[in-house]
Amino acid sequence: MNSVDTIQSWLVNQIATQLKIGPETIKVTEPLTRYGLDSIDSVTIVGDMEDWLDAELPSTLLWDYPTIAKAAQYLVDEVGVSPEETATPQPAAASQAKAEAPAGKGWGGLWNKISGS
Amino acid sequence: MQQLKQFWVAEALEKDLGDPGNPNSMMSFKQVMDLDEKEEFPDEIIDWLYNWKLQHYYIPTECGGEFTGFDEFISFVRVLSRRDQTAGIAFTTMFWSYLVWMAGTEEQKQNLASFMKDNNGTMCLAYSEKAHGSDLLGGDMKATKVEGGYLMTGEKWPINRATRSGVSFVLAQTDPAGGPRSLSLFMVEKSKIDPAKYSNLPKILTHGIRGSDMSGIKFDHCFIPDAMRLGAEGTGLELALKGFQITRALCAAFSQGAADTALRTTLKFALGRKLYGKTVFDMPQPRRTLTDAFLDILICDCCTYGVGRGFSTVPEQISAWSAVVKYFVTTTLETVVNNVSVVLGSRFYMREAHDWGIFQKVLRDNAIISMFDGSSIVNLHALLLQLRQLTKSRARNAGKNLEALSTRLSTTFDLTQTLPAFDGKKLELVNRGGDDVLQGLELAIASLEKLKSDSNLNPDTLYQIITFTEIMREELNSLDVEITESTFQFGHEQEPEFFDMARKYCVLHAAAACVYTWIYNRNHLGEFFANGEWLALSLRRLMLNLKPAKALPGRIDDSGVTQEMIRLYNEDRMFSIVPFQLAKSQLEETSTDASPKLQLQT
Repeated sequence: MNSVDTIQSWLVNQIATQLKIGPETIKVTEPLTRYGLDSIDSVTIVGDMEDWLDAELPSTLLWDYPTIAKAAQYLVDEVGVSPEETATPQPAAASQAKAEAPAGKGWGGLWNKISGS
Repeated sequence: MQQLKQFWVAEALEKDLGDPGNPNSMMSFKQVMDLDEKEEFPDEIIDWLYNWKLQHYYIPTECGGEFTGFDEFISFVRVLSRRDQTAGIAFTTMFWSYLVWMAGTEEQKQNLASFMKDNNGTMCLAYSEKAHGSDLLGGDMKATKVEGGYLMTGEKWPINRATRSGVSFVLAQTDPAGGPRSLSLFMVEKSKIDPAKYSNLPKILTHGIRGSDMSGIKFDHCFIPDAMRLGAEGTGLELALKGFQITRALCAAFSQGAADTALRTTLKFALGRKLYGKTVFDMPQPRRTLTDAFLDILICDCCTYGVGRGFSTVPEQISAWSAVVKYFVTTTLETVVNNVSVVLGSRFYMREAHDWGIFQKVLRDNAIISMFDGSSIVNLHALLLQLRQLTKSRARNAGKNLEALSTRLSTTFDLTQTLPAFDGKKLELVNRGGDDVLQGLELAIASLEKLKSDSNLNPDTLYQIITFTEIMREELNSLDVEITESTFQFGHEQEPEFFDMARKYCVLHAAAACVYTWIYNRNHLGEFFANGEWLALSLRRLMLNLKPAKALPGRIDDSGVTQEMIRLYNEDRMFSIVPFQLAKSQLEETSTDASPKLQLQT
């Protein structure tokens, strides 16, 4: 997969999971609002992308590039991000944390454990 | 005079308005009750405020005004609001001018500044529509591009000051395809458009703020020149959301003014009214109720001044802070008004008894504050969408750049420090870089530990403050786990549990704001503030939202706090962490026993 495909597939999975719809129903050329993602949701999703890509992105990214295809193209062409193919989509970051959450322990240690830092 | 400069305007305004208990004063309780009974707009009051040139304090200095910081602004809005929220809200619709200070061209800024200063002009915010409420993108108002401008068609409702304002900030759809870039914001100057193409809707009768010019506005293919568009086409929603960060946080000042009057007039009653051979105030239960109300006001003070100053120090974090304050302060102070009503007994419900019936008016007027500019639920929603990122930032930033964090916190919370100028362009739609207030808890605990060597502090009080702050840290840690474990979803059908998490977040943010306010101002806000009993009691009150009483250290003696409340009452000072001077009440008005002879049973 090239970078554009990787980003597209990450976004498809992320949006499918959080909107509880099948990833196969999402077309990368359709405006995201068609799937029930509202304007503020598409701002908050950028935060997750920043974490995944480890880059600071404009929070209105998905307002200005309102389809998955346009956003992915912009990120590769203009921002120059190149996600590794191994960086597979992790829309279920929350449940992953759940599995590792040590019972009764504070948050600081938890994140160190996940991030390995 | 108050040594802190940001309170000078509030004190001067108070002095000139005079004692609200004197019927002849401007904005006296008598006058505002008469207007309310007649449901009349407070024209005379508004004119007086313009002549006093209060509008200059809404205009930044670089645009030719006197505005320097939001903490100053908050203080004088409290002054207006403690007398009359109807007039206070009416005059303060001017704070939407921030849309222009943030996004306007030089010409638009000059235009608006001169409209406010030279023409006693005012403006209104025309965002909502009858059919769509808070759903801004769902609106039907259209602005269709034509040569040199737009043709605007549609109706906005309900709008405060829609009929009387000369400028309406109208959100309209400029791209029929829809989506977040489909809206543009217009600064519609009524004097420059065709009067045949727009009309004002009839006054809406309301439960409170009865004299308000509450109506709406309707356009019918009305030509709006390009020069009235604020910012680029398609930036309307972004601008609207950033503008709300400012107005929502500042709404807290309306509630604080109202809570002051609710407490003050109830205290006057409790101190003078005798039952069973004692005053109402002498009885433990009413006294506790009033003392707790005072504590709640102090808690809210710390949050409100914190966000007011945070606009200058951490604008990129305000999307979270302003949602916290708009939710927490307005709902907490609504509860304060309700709680003290019990002490006033049936008089709270009477339209003439006791101080011209101001209490029932406060109760009615104040009920709208937590609703307008985004309801409590809208604000909690704005916050809950950011919770995951806030949690991640907290983990990511843990233990890093502590020096910079400490500097930001001290500039934000130390009221003696000079603030950098506010730059609206630095506001972000979602929080960037986390929430300093909660990020700094470890630093706060370290600072508190150091105070153990301070012999001026009562060790028991300090022990409580430290213990409650540690409890906050534990609660925050478990909230972070709760947030991380939850399966977050987009859309508008969020689980009620998410709203609960957002509420807990607000409580923790508020509690931390109290701790910093104390740490950074211990040396310059007087003995009562410095001894920290108010803080220990406040933190306990806040933690009761999260834990049962038996899981917390017991309540310390609150008589010092009660005494301070009475001192502020007797000296006509604002119930606040900075008890600035209010207009002096006249002797004949205080014919009750609210005099220094009052003895507290300590």
